[in-house]
Amino acid sequence: MSATIKPPVRPNRDTVTTIRDDGSRMFLHPADVRGFWTRARRGSAFLLIAIYLLLPWIPVGGHPAVFLDIGGGRFHLFGYTLAFQDLWLSFFAVSGLGFALFFVTSLLGRVWCGWACPHTVFLDHVFRRVERWIEGDSVARRKLDAAPWTASKIVKRVGKQVVFVLLSAVITHLFLAYFVSLPELWNMMHHSPREHWGAFLFVAVATGLLYFNFAWFREQLCLVICPYGRMQSVLVDDHSLVIGYDAKRGEPRGKIGVPDAGACIDCNRCVQVCPTGIDIRQGLQIECIACAACIDACDEVMTKVKRPTGLIRYDSTAAFAGERTRWLRPRVWLYVVLLLAGVAAATWAFSTVRPAVLSVTRLGGAPYFVDTETVRNQFLVRLVNKRDTPASFRVVAEGEGIRQTGFEGMVTIAPLAEEVRPLIVSVPLSSYAGPFKFEVVARPDGDDYELRRGADFTGPEPELLREGGE
Amino acid sequence: MSAHAPQPPQQPGEDPIRPHVFDGIAEYDKRLPNWWLMTLYASIAFAVVYWMWSQHFRRDTDGQRVDAVVQELRAAKLAAAGAFDDDALWAMSRTSSVISAGEATYQSTCLSCHGDKLQGGIGFNLSDDVWVHGDKPTEIMKVVSDGVLEKGMPAWGPVLGPKKTAEVVAFILSKHPAP
Repeated sequence: MSATIKPPVRPNRDTVTTIRDDGSRMFLHPADVRGFWTRARRGSAFLLIAIYLLLPWIPVGGHPAVFLDIGGGRFHLFGYTLAFQDLWLSFFAVSGLGFALFFVTSLLGRVWCGWACPHTVFLDHVFRRVERWIEGDSVARRKLDAAPWTASKIVKRVGKQVVFVLLSAVITHLFLAYFVSLPELWNMMHHSPREHWGAFLFVAVATGLLYFNFAWFREQLCLVICPYGRMQSVLVDDHSLVIGYDAKRGEPRGKIGVPDAGACIDCNRCVQVCPTGIDIRQGLQIECIACAACIDACDEVMTKVKRPTGLIRYDSTAAFAGERTRWLRPRVWLYVVLLLAGVAAATWAFSTVRPAVLSVTRLGGAPYFVDTETVRNQFLVRLVNKRDTPASFRVVAEGEGIRQTGFEGMVTIAPLAEEVRPLIVSVPLSSYAGPFKFEVVARPDGDDYELRRGADFTGPEPELLREGGE
Repeated sequence: MSAHAPQPPQQPGEDPIRPHVFDGIAEYDKRLPNWWLMTLYASIAFAVVYWMWSQHFRRDTDGQRVDAVVQELRAAKLAAAGAFDDDALWAMSRTSSVISAGEATYQSTCLSCHGDKLQGGIGFNLSDDVWVHGDKPTEIMKVVSDGVLEKGMPAWGPVLGPKKTAEVVAFILSKHPAP
């Protein structure tokens, strides 16, 4: 963004358009675009942003719909409450998301990038719109770049940066709300940062990073940083849906009136609207985030010159070459099989979640104790009540001939609290036959599930005990 | 560029190409983005400055810093323990709020072995005058905190913390006449 206009770089297959030969950045000012895909993407972005903004406000089962209360050790998801002991389930969530991304991309190409990625959603539909509103269309913005620092330019630029910082702050504060809940966020905002130094630092740094990203870094994230773009070449094949230019129809290019020219009139609108600075007519490129702006731009022009639309369109590389798109190919079948296996495993995993967690560990000290009448083992039982209401449990050590001390009767646990108590298991010397396994069972009062944990009763070999006696 | 390395093909007027050829693929010699280079140089500068500060100019070693923290923790522990001497514990055993807090801890943690009326069972009888490991409040607190592991009394200090340990000792003492 210097005071002299540097000539724009023509897109080519050999370099990144946005980095000049001297290493400086060519800041892109994509032209305005209208059309079906723009409207569809705006709608999808509106929905996604609404979900992001609203989820912390919507209570489900007494808690915000998504509240990852790291401080309290409870993770509330749409009425489901998970404790730290259940975090292993996040394996399915994370790997499931990754897998879904790969599967969808093999079929539909980079729909994530253009439609769902938070970077694109916020950049294209929030920050660029603010920029358009304050600084005008692409021609006006380029002029402003080259203009000297008049009062008007200062007001526009500073005003834009202030709005950008505020928007970034809103996004990061709401992000924090997912982890501390909105009331606590509000509370924090009314107190000195010193009282919550970690949270304050995090939001400050995150706001700075978001502001830097949306104000300046922009497409460099997609081109250089994001691993998804780098993986595109392996996730996408000749039969995945991509955005492409129908060279068979379009070539050879020629202005209107040129005889025997193809459909493309070389208006370069597709280049002007591209947010990553490529020319899609040069073929599928790693920079293309499938935002469909070039589709809308070309369709608009084709309509104006009364030619059929679809010169740039969603289609597979094979289809552009004249073949038929094969939707069901080996990799798709493999993905389907893996998906079914993953869904089955995840369903089973989530079905094991209960409103309480039972854990049994051996109490520190000697592994067993022998006195004149018994051999005994001492355990520590931890019961976590994940519900919002008090819960009562009966805890029983089940096994042949064992006596239990501790946990006589019901134990009542407060909401979201846990109870840690000793459980003493003993066997009379006369009937002791060596180490054995048993189970600790917790049965809630008024619920029909039960929690079981296996435990080992350790002790001396029976012969060693009888040596002293007989 | 050695004579026997394959030369990358170059058309006239094309951008300069780097000399290496990997599997038949050659690279254009383009500048890295300035922002990338600046980040790299800044990282190098930061590394130098940070190394100087953390390794060269800092006078204490990691071991000394760990020792200092351990000393701090020990002092805090002693201060907490010192707050709970014999007289303080007897006074706490006559304070109703402390007694009820201690009773709650007793019922969840101690009841299984020492009985609901402190009559004992697996553990000792805490309501009589026989104190195997010492009858002074601080001695009782030591047993609760550090345990008697070979006999089966767990060390509850780390589990309960000094405050709850003192409260439960005060609760037990509340069943006994003060000296």
